[in-house]
Amino acid sequence: MKIDHSLPLEYSTEENRLKILGFWIFLGAEIMLFGTLFASYFTLVDRIGSGPSGKEIFEITPVLIETIVLLTSSFTIGLGVHAMRIGRKKAMMSFFVITLLLGLVFLGVEIFEFIHYVHIGAGLQTSAFTAILLSTLGTHGLHVTFGLFWGLFILLQVKKRGLTPETANKSFIFSLYWHFLDVVWIFIFSFVYLKGMM
Amino acid sequence: MKELFPMKQILGFVFSLLLTVIALAVYFLDMSFSTGMTILLATAFIQAAVQLVVFMHAGETKDKGAIYTNVYYGVFIALATVFGTLLTMIWGYN
Repeated sequence: MKIDHSLPLEYSTEENRLKILGFWIFLGAEIMLFGTLFASYFTLVDRIGSGPSGKEIFEITPVLIETIVLLTSSFTIGLGVHAMRIGRKKAMMSFFVITLLLGLVFLGVEIFEFIHYVHIGAGLQTSAFTAILLSTLGTHGLHVTFGLFWGLFILLQVKKRGLTPETANKSFIFSLYWHFLDVVWIFIFSFVYLKGMM
Repeated sequence: MKELFPMKQILGFVFSLLLTVIALAVYFLDMSFSTGMTILLATAFIQAAVQLVVFMHAGETKDKGAIYTNVYYGVFIALATVFGTLLTMIWGYN
């Protein structure tokens, strides 16, 4: 295997470079997936039937907590990748742990929010609006949940094997996934919550 | 310790918090729907660009062209889906 030492570890072999490019292509498909969810959301947002509207059920505090927590986690995983590039395994792992903990806080708040919605009568079957709202939020939440497990397993590998071209590549690809989830959340924050509360 | 916190990423983080605060004006201040949507569209897309460039290192290798082409393509399809759907399902009936 040819290792190019002028590049960061995660790009150092051709296979690694192609894996990163391949993951970007996957993210392109993810953009389209969330595009269809947003299209359905904007179509159904006013179809509230006898259920509540967004204005009645959205609350700013949990949404703000979720946003700041996810933005911060995106920052800390960025620092993690930076630490990885200068070969600081311990610092990198700490930043990844902080990222995953923030992800866990996000998920906790979101689960609490879902329970609250169902409790006040805005469940999955209440109206077209609540159905698409919970589907859109749920798809994002499911991605975060998956990311938490993925990140945990990558951390275990880095701990066991150290920073090699393989583990660095996996960590970098995970960081791309995590940043992407933050970008999707920004759009949910803006066009589901803030637009709904305006 | 200092080398663990590169200036570029700290500035990127501060900027993304700032964009969030600007977006929040839509909630806290009284404004028309079109003004609010303009602000939200601007802050959301700039925020996405900050993530892409500062944190995702999209333009770092010789795959830069392929990566950006792919992202633009994804965004184009997503926007065509969203606005095409709005056109056929909502605006077409007004």
